[in-house]
Amino acid sequence: MPLPLLQGTLDLLILGAIGPRPVHGYAIASAIEERSGGDLRVEDAALYQALHRLERQGLVEAEWGASENNRRARFYTLTSEGRRRLAEQKSYWRRYARALEGILRGV
Amino acid sequence: MRQKRKPFWFLRRPSAEIAADVDAELHDHLERRTAALIRDGFAPDEARAEARRRFGDVDATRRYCRRQHEVREDGMRRRLTIEDLVQDARIAVRGLFRAPVLALTIVASVGLGIGAATAIFAVIDAALLRPLPYRDPAQLVRIYTDSPPYRFRFSVVDWQALAAQQTTFARVAAYGDRPMTYTDGTSAERLRGREVTAGYFETLGVVPALGRTFTEAEARAGGPRAVILSDRFWRQRLGGAPDVLGRTIRLDSLDYAIVGVLPPGSGPLEFDQDYFVAAQWPAPRRKGPFFVTAIGRLPDGSRPGAVAAELREINRRLFPLWKSSYQDEHATWAAMDLKAYLAGGFRSIAGLALAAVALLWVIACVNASNLLVARVTSRRRELAVRAALGASRGRLVRYLLAESAVLAVLAAAVGVALAWGGVVLARTAGAAYIPRAEEIVLGGRTLAVLAAVTACSMALFGVIPAAQGAGGSFRRDARDGIDGGLRTLGRSATGSRSVRRLRGLLVGCQFAVATPLLVIAGLLIVSLGNLGRVDLGFDTRNVLTGAVMLPAAQYREDGKVLTFWDRLRTDVARVPGVTGVAFTSSRPPNDAGDQNNFELEDSPSGPGRPQPVTTWVDASPEYFRVFGVKMIEGRLFDARDTATNSPSVVIVDQAWARRFFPGQSAVGKRLKGGGCSTCDWTTVVGVVSPVKFDGLDAQDRGVVYTPMAERGADLAGSYSGRTRYLIVRSAGPIDEAIPQVRKAIRDLDPNVPFTRVATIDELVDRSLEQPRGLSGLIGALAVVALALSIVGIYGVMAHYVQQQAKDISIRLALGGTPRRVVGLIVRRGMTLVGWGMAVGVAAAVAFARLLSASFFGVSPADPFTFAVVAALMLAAALAACGVPAARAVSAEPASVLRTD
Repeated sequence: MPLPLLQGTLDLLILGAIGPRPVHGYAIASAIEERSGGDLRVEDAALYQALHRLERQGLVEAEWGASENNRRARFYTLTSEGRRRLAEQKSYWRRYARALEGILRGV
Repeated sequence: MRQKRKPFWFLRRPSAEIAADVDAELHDHLERRTAALIRDGFAPDEARAEARRRFGDVDATRRYCRRQHEVREDGMRRRLTIEDLVQDARIAVRGLFRAPVLALTIVASVGLGIGAATAIFAVIDAALLRPLPYRDPAQLVRIYTDSPPYRFRFSVVDWQALAAQQTTFARVAAYGDRPMTYTDGTSAERLRGREVTAGYFETLGVVPALGRTFTEAEARAGGPRAVILSDRFWRQRLGGAPDVLGRTIRLDSLDYAIVGVLPPGSGPLEFDQDYFVAAQWPAPRRKGPFFVTAIGRLPDGSRPGAVAAELREINRRLFPLWKSSYQDEHATWAAMDLKAYLAGGFRSIAGLALAAVALLWVIACVNASNLLVARVTSRRRELAVRAALGASRGRLVRYLLAESAVLAVLAAAVGVALAWGGVVLARTAGAAYIPRAEEIVLGGRTLAVLAAVTACSMALFGVIPAAQGAGGSFRRDARDGIDGGLRTLGRSATGSRSVRRLRGLLVGCQFAVATPLLVIAGLLIVSLGNLGRVDLGFDTRNVLTGAVMLPAAQYREDGKVLTFWDRLRTDVARVPGVTGVAFTSSRPPNDAGDQNNFELEDSPSGPGRPQPVTTWVDASPEYFRVFGVKMIEGRLFDARDTATNSPSVVIVDQAWARRFFPGQSAVGKRLKGGGCSTCDWTTVVGVVSPVKFDGLDAQDRGVVYTPMAERGADLAGSYSGRTRYLIVRSAGPIDEAIPQVRKAIRDLDPNVPFTRVATIDELVDRSLEQPRGLSGLIGALAVVALALSIVGIYGVMAHYVQQQAKDISIRLALGGTPRRVVGLIVRRGMTLVGWGMAVGVAAAVAFARLLSASFFGVSPADPFTFAVVAALMLAAALAACGVPAARAVSAEPASVLRTD
């Protein structure tokens, strides 16, 4: 069973799953699942709501384009604002994870 | 250069498109998921169902995503709109900075128009439009005795009959003025107050902020004395103490218990009053006097007409009961809207001011339009370049309108400042003349009007130049191509006939509007001059007047009252420089204390007919000598008339004698005053020269002088016996005597107030204040209007001369005389002015006739005023045309021809 998502991590997961190349929503969902070894899974509805909210906030950009086997899909990329947010979130969660790890080691 | 992009209104993505996008994306996701599931071994149907299940709430997601896009669109559009507007405004401001005189002229003149119109509207809104600040104000009426053309107040008799017999009003109430002397132990002061019936505050719907309203017992003769204070009295004199209820204050030397305090700013009837006492009117013995204003509240939903029949009926029943002291059987009772009653005659003055302001505003806008057309014309080349570089027609119009918008916004700012000043002025200096002045505010309604006037201004002066500018560049464009357009536009001499015609039309309109404004101002100024020259009938210099009121509690016996008056007369006469002292009940020029009806022995009006009414003035025997009123016939008052039981006599003025006894002597004629049919006859013993008592602008309708009561009449018991105007004449400047007159009164009795002190010249000056203010306001507006019209014609002629410079030079080079050429140019300008003024004079005749009630001693079609105004305008216009013409012929022809 996948783990329940910690509050505040959804944006990080999505931003982190969007790489340097444009990706569509389905690929983002798969990437999150794969990279977490199946431990984390974002519900599709939540994923799309978050994507469109991030778009409104100017953190991601979207454009229609052709995917593999020539199907049209909506491709997402990070804006510079989005990259900055991702970097901030990354360092925050890294520190958080390190701190947690340190405490757990003592238990 | 800025990248050309679609204007903001093209950017909106239709919501159908947004919806389709979101749907397509979600659908794509589900397809991919389904395909993956099938690859993992699901059957197609199951895979589809599983994909949906895993997705979660598709519909909610769809809605949420669409909403995100719409919010984003809105934000973007708003940002772009603002960006566009800022961009437009920046270009416009930059452009206007290069033409500061033009911009200043337009902003100042249109701003003046907007500000003046707004201020006048604020005044009219408060005085005439806004409902009264009472509960359900539309149901409030004033009830009065209708005897056209007069609307008389009620008497106590009338009021008591109304209160007892009416059945259709929800409530009725009445009030009368009751000034009293307030003493707080150290000083005595005369204050304004009213006596009101028990239901007065309930009728209006005014609830005291502290305490209660009056009870029935308090409003009965002999009941407990109770007072309700105004907020101002309570704060200023009692320090706003919360525990004042039950305490007493001394008014006219009697203790009144404070039962309530009114809220601040309750309504126009309470405005400027210090206190209200419960009216304790004793049972009347005759029909008059008529000092009671009756008001009523109609039941919900009914109109004043509903009570008319009942009011007439009560009056009809009442009439026979009091026939011995009141004979006017044609008078009926009627009710009118309380708001209209309070507005009084202000409507006509307000109309005049509003008309003047509106005219000025139109001129200012037309002038601005004219100047902007000229500006657009001289910028043709720039506009053509912009068009050539790809600016669309809409963009050009927007560019030109942006300038107008910036001008309009600046003008509105000037207007707000002016309107604010005007409102402050109206609330302070104008409070004495403007009904409900305390309610004038620069509030929401007023600002909405300001915004509307600003928008109309912009439309008035923005649209024509914009259409002209954009249309002009494009018309040429179409005909000759851009090249041709640029080439012709570079040369200013050709193709501007239509512009010239348009500007000529605008200038003509300016003169057409300015003429009536100047004529009205002229007529008002002539009227003011006439008013200032009105002869009061005596030498007005160095005459001091003031009211002396003896407190009822200390002056209970006639003997004490008489002694006081006698000693006052002798003491004041002893003041150095004083040459005469007299007492009267009235003051010229507009403080006639009493109007009285009477029956003439020789020509009785007959039973049931209204009796003649004139001003009645109580005068001491010295009155005639002190004022310098000339005796024409008969004799003046003397000791015979003031002694006890002397026969009743009066002296009349010449206007009275001529009115009632034309061509014969009035001396020896007899009359009965006050509708008293059982009284003895009163004999006219003398005729004197007329004195103005009813206002400077009123016809002399006759004055009757009665000898001031010094005999056994009930002096101490009546207000009139204890109150007199003291009249003092001095040989030198009266100002030096005033402190000593005050001291003489104080030495006699420090509890006696000396109020309403003014010299006759001051009283005359005060009564001229309102006409002076009005003619000043309208005169100033007219001067601005004339100046703007001159700016207009000057601009048109300067432009014309500049464009015709070559023609003019050719004429001069070929031997035309400068005189002739100047004549040609000036004639051209004066033709415009001429037709404008012709229209204007016709309008002025109509306007002046409409406003004839506002003029005094001058016909609305006064040829002198019209001639002076026309001459003034023509002279100014001639100068404005002549200057550019003279400049044109003074240029060296050869140098003009060589340029360009």
